[in-house]
Amino acid sequence: MHDPAFHDGMTSARRRRTVRRTPRRTARAAGAPAGLVLAAALVALTGCGDGTPTFPTDPDGTLERVRGGELRAGLSPHEPWTALGPDGTLGGVEVALVEDFADALGADVTWTTGGEEALVADLEEGRLDVVVGGFTASTPWTSKAAVTVAYTTVTDEHGKPEGHVVLAPMGENAFLVALERHLLDQEVTAP
Amino acid sequence: MTQGAVQQSFRFGNTELPPDAQRARRRAVRLAWLTIGFLVTAVTLVYLVMGSSQAMKAAWAEDLLSFIPPVAFLVALHVTGKVPSERHPYGYHRSVGIGHLVAATALLTMGAFLVFDSLSGLLAGEHPPVGLIVVLGHEVWAGWLMVAVLAYTIVPPVLLGRAKMPLAEQLHDRVLYADADMNKADWMTAVGGIVGVLGIGAGLWWADAVAALFISGSILHDGVRNLRSAVAALMDARATTVDGTQPHPLHDRIDATLRALPWVAQAQSRVRDEGHVFHVEAFVVPHDGMPTQAQLQHAWHAVAGLDWKVQDLVVVPVDELPEELLPGLRDATGTRPG
Repeated sequence: MHDPAFHDGMTSARRRRTVRRTPRRTARAAGAPAGLVLAAALVALTGCGDGTPTFPTDPDGTLERVRGGELRAGLSPHEPWTALGPDGTLGGVEVALVEDFADALGADVTWTTGGEEALVADLEEGRLDVVVGGFTASTPWTSKAAVTVAYTTVTDEHGKPEGHVVLAPMGENAFLVALERHLLDQEVTAP
Repeated sequence: MTQGAVQQSFRFGNTELPPDAQRARRRAVRLAWLTIGFLVTAVTLVYLVMGSSQAMKAAWAEDLLSFIPPVAFLVALHVTGKVPSERHPYGYHRSVGIGHLVAATALLTMGAFLVFDSLSGLLAGEHPPVGLIVVLGHEVWAGWLMVAVLAYTIVPPVLLGRAKMPLAEQLHDRVLYADADMNKADWMTAVGGIVGVLGIGAGLWWADAVAALFISGSILHDGVRNLRSAVAALMDARATTVDGTQPHPLHDRIDATLRALPWVAQAQSRVRDEGHVFHVEAFVVPHDGMPTQAQLQHAWHAVAGLDWKVQDLVVVPVDELPEELLPGLRDATGTRPG
């Protein structure tokens, strides 16, 4: 059992740190389970670079904004990777990946569905933080979106290995690295 | 092996090189192959880690272009070894100029393209994404790998360039000179690239495009400078030192040697650079009447003995120095008697 006083001390120390980083998100971060906050803090301290907490860093501060806040995700239906039911329910392995990533950051996901072109345009203009839609490493969107490392590799119908990726905003490298670390940590079996 | 005899007799066409120049040539060939070997590793490594960094792309293009000068040098050296024929009475020395022109044009074109590319990237505000890369099971920020590869490309070119420079002067090889000059400046490309990549890491998205602009600007600058010098040589400009900055001192020595002959009243020559060797037409005005065959023969040997570069030599006795063939004469007549 934890000593409650010690536990409180931990939380308030964590809270002070969070206050400095994202003043508006304090309440949410403090309200999240302590373990989760600790995990998020670990991501902040060790997950974004190699030893240095803010290297690489985001020119537009995406990771800091998302942490403990809102992850704006776009979904383009592409079964079996992403699915959009007739009643608007979302499914597919990539939806789960994004939800898990948001959980790890203590963020809530706000989903937008649409065609790839519209979603990538939203990504480019900073209205979305991540887009999923069964993209592969050979996606033609590379000049408009940052392509993550492959979270799984499957053999396509021509017998060619194809890495599956998700799209992130260009140049938000702390966010990109955090997302990629999360993807690499998952054991994803191809649907 | 048994190639000693063959190497000893290496010629630039009809010109047999003296032993020290032979050594310089062998060394230059070794360095050219060494450069090619280094570039193969550099191009491969940079390609593997370059990702979407503009600066890395520019550095990669520069490494690729760096193949041209050593290859042009080796090809030109091979071609100039041919003995003049009936069809090519002046020999094959111009192949150096052609190699130089090709290298310069490639630099200029690629430099211009990359300047445009990085400038438009900068103006469009492109933010280069640099994420993780998995190396031997370890997740590493790809930027660190880029920095490591660029750091590897800092030192070897500088050493190669410094080793080639004196050989370029000794062999009077403009392609080798251009190569050495570019190698010597290559460390700035690598450092520029490192600054760009670290800039991305620090959240300065424009640092990468600015570094790319700096690198491509230096490629363009190399192209312009080399194009000028290559075109000047092909246009039969007077022979200059290998860096193209001043008239070659041999020209004055040729004139002085001829003027020092007792039977010569006036002498002046025109000298063009064929590539490695010069083509010399020397006009001499004797004190009285035609010089004897022996005198002319002696004059020829006196000049040709000055340097291995001046063996393609014509000595012409004339009544009066031909002004239309020696454009510098008008300025010189004021200072010299006659």
